[in-house]
Amino acid sequence: MMDISLCLKRPSRMGDSKRMRMTSNFQWLLLTVLLLYLMNQVNSQKRRTPRDLKCITNNLQVWDCSWRAPSGAGHGAAYEVCFENGSHSCYRLEKNVKIPALLPGDHEITINPLHDFGSFISKFTLNEKNVSFIPDVPEILDLSADFSTSTLHLKWNDKGSVFPHHSDVIWEIKVLRKKNMEIVKLVTHNTTLNGRDTIHHWSWTSDMPLECATHYVGIRCYIDDPQFSGRKEWSDWSPLKNISWSPDSQTKVFPQDRVLLVGSDITVCCVTQEEVLSAQIGSTYCPLIHLDGKNVAIKIRNISASESSGTNVVFSVEDNMFGTVIFAGYPPDIPQKLNCETYDLKEIICTWNPGRPTFLVGPRNTSYTLFESFSGKYVRFKRVELPTNESYQLFFQMLPNQEIYNFTLNARNPLGQSESTLLVNITEKVHPHIPTSIKVKDISSTAVTLSWHLPGSFAKIKLLCQIEINKTNSVHELRNVTMKGIENSSYLAAVDKLNPYTIYTFRIRCCTDPFWKWSKWSNEKQYLTTEAIPSKGPDTWREWSSDGKNLIIYWKPLPINEANGKILSYNVSCSSDEETQSLSEIPDPQHKAEIQLDKSDYIISVVAKNSVGSSPPSKIASMEIPNDDLKIEQAVGMGNGILLTWNYDPNVTCDYVIKWCNSSRSEPCLMDWKKVPSNSTETVIESDQFRPGVRYNFFVYGCRNQGYQLLRSIIGYVEELAPVVAPNFTVEDTSADSILVKWEEIPVEELRGFLRGYLFYFEKGERDTSKMRVLESGRSDIKVKNITDISQKTLRIADLQGKTSYHLVLRAYTDGGMGPEKSMFVVTKENSVALIIAILIPVAVAVIVGVVTSILCYRKREWETALLKHWK
Amino acid sequence: FLLPAALCLLTLLLPPLSLGAPISPAEPISQAYSLALYMQKNTSTLLQTYLQCQGSPFSDPGFSAPELQLSSLPPAAVSFKTWHALNDRERLSCAQGAFLALTQHLQLVGDDQSDLNPGSPILLAQLGAATLRAQGLLGNMAAIMTALGLPIPPEEDTLGLVPFGASAFERKCRGYVVTWEYGHWTDRAVRDLALLKAKYPG
Repeated sequence: MMDISLCLKRPSRMGDSKRMRMTSNFQWLLLTVLLLYLMNQVNSQKRRTPRDLKCITNNLQVWDCSWRAPSGAGHGAAYEVCFENGSHSCYRLEKNVKIPALLPGDHEITINPLHDFGSFISKFTLNEKNVSFIPDVPEILDLSADFSTSTLHLKWNDKGSVFPHHSDVIWEIKVLRKKNMEIVKLVTHNTTLNGRDTIHHWSWTSDMPLECATHYVGIRCYIDDPQFSGRKEWSDWSPLKNISWSPDSQTKVFPQDRVLLVGSDITVCCVTQEEVLSAQIGSTYCPLIHLDGKNVAIKIRNISASESSGTNVVFSVEDNMFGTVIFAGYPPDIPQKLNCETYDLKEIICTWNPGRPTFLVGPRNTSYTLFESFSGKYVRFKRVELPTNESYQLFFQMLPNQEIYNFTLNARNPLGQSESTLLVNITEKVHPHIPTSIKVKDISSTAVTLSWHLPGSFAKIKLLCQIEINKTNSVHELRNVTMKGIENSSYLAAVDKLNPYTIYTFRIRCCTDPFWKWSKWSNEKQYLTTEAIPSKGPDTWREWSSDGKNLIIYWKPLPINEANGKILSYNVSCSSDEETQSLSEIPDPQHKAEIQLDKSDYIISVVAKNSVGSSPPSKIASMEIPNDDLKIEQAVGMGNGILLTWNYDPNVTCDYVIKWCNSSRSEPCLMDWKKVPSNSTETVIESDQFRPGVRYNFFVYGCRNQGYQLLRSIIGYVEELAPVVAPNFTVEDTSADSILVKWEEIPVEELRGFLRGYLFYFEKGERDTSKMRVLESGRSDIKVKNITDISQKTLRIADLQGKTSYHLVLRAYTDGGMGPEKSMFVVTKENSVALIIAILIPVAVAVIVGVVTSILCYRKREWETALLKHWK
Repeated sequence: FLLPAALCLLTLLLPPLSLGAPISPAEPISQAYSLALYMQKNTSTLLQTYLQCQGSPFSDPGFSAPELQLSSLPPAAVSFKTWHALNDRERLSCAQGAFLALTQHLQLVGDDQSDLNPGSPILLAQLGAATLRAQGLLGNMAAIMTALGLPIPPEEDTLGLVPFGASAFERKCRGYVVTWEYGHWTDRAVRDLALLKAKYPG
C-alpha cells in the first residue's frame, strides 16, 4: 500500500513530552493521556490531509487517480498534484487526476490542497503495482436469435485498438432466462487483443426453444496484460440485452419436427394463453415446468429411437390438444462393405450395407452420394424404402479410357454424415454376366464347337471360361479356355475328346484375367454327339447243336462305348476253304444265329452295324482243338461267384474263354461265357443267374488262331448246401450178429454240393417205442460210422446180438452241411449154438445134482444103519 | 380386397359416362347407395389403420379428439332437423361438396403419410382406395343430379393454398380429421341416398 508521510506546516510540538517523564505512576498516567492526545493530534492532522490515493486504469495508458479529500474541505476544493516522471509536473485540479501511465518503479506524488489553511500536504509513493486495471464495460453490438435452431448469436467489439500490448482477454458471458432472470449459462470465452478493434461472435444453443421464454445476455471481460504489474480486475457487466418471441394469439408448441440423436435431452414448450393440463411424450406423462405467463415446458431426457412417424409430444388444454413430433434416430453409420465392380466394363455397380439403422425415414432418411474424384462425377442414390439391412446399390457409368476410380460414398441425414472410400482398378473387378445363348455344333463324332454370348466391353482384356462337361454316370470334367475378350459378342470354343453317340451336358462360366469373380454358371445345354462306326466286333461264341448238324452262333450286344451308336443289325458269315455262308441284317435284339454246317473247319465272323458303318469282324473257328488230357475238376465259389485258375499257357495267343452252364441241362449247354485276356491265369466268374446248391459246369478254353481248345473242365458250386434228401438204403443181409446195408446215390440236384461222406448210426431199439430218440453221435449207446469213401455203397455192421431189433439211420453230408436222415428197424436172426448150449447146460446141471443127491442119500442110509448097530 | 373394390368402382363409374338422354334417377341412386354401403364397411378400418401408424397417443386405445377440425373440410355433423329439412338439391350439393373436399384431402393425407410412414404400404393402399371410392361416389352423385335435372356444382379447389409447411404433428392431426370425417360423411351419404332411394323407387 501507499506509504504516506506527513510534513507539518506548523512548528513541531514534540518537545512537550520530555517534561512528562517525572514521576512514576502519575507519570504513566500522564504519559498515557499524552499519548492519546498525540494520537488524536496525529489523526486530526491526517484528517486534514488528502489521503487514500487510489489509481485505476482502464486502458493502461492513463491512470485515473483519486483520493479522499481532507475533512472540512469544501466541495470544489482545488489541489495541486505534483509528481516526478522524468520531469517535475504539477496539475491544479479539483478531485482526481488523470495522469499518463508512469514507468515501473516508485514515483512520489504530492497533493497540496490549495486555499485550505487547515490542511496539510500529502506525499504518496505511487507504483504501477498499486494501480488497478479495470477494463471498460464491454458493449454488446448485437444479440440475435435463430429460433429454428434455438441459437443465440452475440456480437461485440473488443476495442483492442485502445490497448498497447497484445493481451489475452477472458470474456464472461451470462445467459439469463425468464422474467425472474434465472442464470442458465455462464461461460468464459478467451480471445487475444491484437491492437485493433475486433468484432467477436459467440453463439449458444439453448436447451429450451427460444420461443418458450425471454432470454437475456450480459458480458464482462478481464484483460490479462502480461506487462502490467498492478492488480487486474473484471470489468463491470454490460447492460443486458434480451431476445423474446412475440407470440400471436394461437397456441404453439416448440420445437416442431426436431430431429434428434437417440439418447439426447430436449425441452419442449407450449406457448399458450390457456391453462395446460397435462403433457405427454408418447403415452408417458411428464411433469410441467412453468415458465412466464401460462407457458409450460417439459424436459425429455435420454430420448429413445422413434418409430417411423416420429415420437409425439402432446400438450392438452381443456378442450384441445397441441403437439409436436420429434424424430429421434442416429446419424448414418459408415457405409459398410462398399464394393464396386462391373459386369460388362460399361457400368460400375457399387454396393454397400448401410450398417446400423438410423430410425429415420421419409425425408429424414439417409441420402447417399457416390463421388468419383478423378472425373469429378457423382451419382445420387434415389430414396427407396428398403429393409434396413439389405444392400444398397448405385450404378456409375464408366468413362472412356479410365480404369482407376476413386470412389467416395457419402451418407448424410439430418443428424450427420459419414463416408467410405474405395480406390479400384475396375479392370481387376470384372464379374461377368451369366453366359447366354449356349449353342453346340458338331465337328465330328468326338468333337463339338460350343458358342455362347457374353455381353460386355471386354476388348482390352482376356477372358477365362470354364466348360463343365457332364456325362451320365461319369464324373464332371472341367476344361479351361482362355480367350481374348471382344466387344459384346459371342465366343467359340472347341471341345474334343468326346465319345461318339453320347449325351453330354455342357455349361459355361467365365471370369476375367486377373481373376475377380466367376460369372454364374450358364444354363445347361444337352447334346448328343453323332454316331461313329462300332469300334469292336461283338463278343462271339458258338456251340454245336445237340444233333451236331447246326452250329449255333452267339454274340453279346456291344457296350455303349464300343457300339458308338445305335446298333441296327448284325451280319454273320461262316467261311471255309470251300464255301461261305452268310446271314445278313440280323436285327439288333437278336443275338443268336444257327447255321447248318458240316463238321469241316469254318471261320465264323460276326459284324455289328450302326447307321455309320460296320464294326471290325469278330472271328471264331467252328471246330474245337482237341485235348486228350482232360480231367474234371471240382471248385467251390464264394457265394456270389467262383474263382477259376489255370496255369499259364504260352500257346494261348488270343484269349481265354470261360463258358458255363447248369450241369443238369442238356446239350448244348450254355448259360454265358466270359473272355479273359491271354496273360491272365485266373478269373472270377460272377453271374446273377448263379444259385447256391446248383452244380455248374465251367469250361476253360484257350484260343489259338481263332480256334479254341478246352483246357479245363470244372464242376463247381458257387455255394454248397446240405443235401435235401437222405440216401435210400436197404438191408441186403441179416445174420444173428450182423447186418449188411446197401444204399443208393443221391441225385446231383438233391445233393446240392460235393458229397463228402455218409454217417451211419445204429442202436438197439424197437419200432414201437413211443418216443423215437433222435440219434446223436454223442450218446454212448449209439454207435456211429463215418463213411468218407463216397464210392462205398454198402456197410456190414457186425458184433450184433441175435434176435435183437436195431434202429439204423443213414444220412449224407456235403461241405454245405448234413442232409436229412433215413432210418430203418432191423431184427437180427436167432443164434442156434447159443440155443443148444442154453438147453444143454440146465439138463447137465440137473443130472449132476440128481447123481450127487443119490450118492449122498445112499451114504446117509449106510451111516444110520451102522450107528444103530453100535447103540444097540 | 383391392381388386374387387377396383372392379366395383369400374362398374359404378361407367354409367355416368353414358350421359345423354334423360334416365331414371332410380338406377344411379341405387348404384351410389351400393357404393356408399360398401365404403361404409371400410371406413372404420381406415381410421384404425391410420391411427395405429401415428404412434401414441393417436394409437392408444380409445383415442378421440373431436375438437380437432379442418376449416377446409365441411363437418358431417348436422342436426337432424336441419338435415331432414334439406331438399334434394341441397342434400346432394352438400354431399357432393363434402366428397369433393374429401377426395382432395385424402390425396393430401396420402402424400403426408408417404413421408411419415413410407414403410406402411397397407395404410397407403387404404388411403388410395378411399380416395378412389370417394371419387367414384362423386361420379355417382353427379349422375343422380343429372337424372334429377339438378345443376352440378362446379368443381372447386377446396384445399386452396396447401399448407405445405405444416408440421408433422399438424399433418397427423389433419389426417385424423380427414379419415374421421370420411367415415362420418360416408355414414351421412348412406342416409342421404337411402332417403332418395325411397323417394325414387325403381
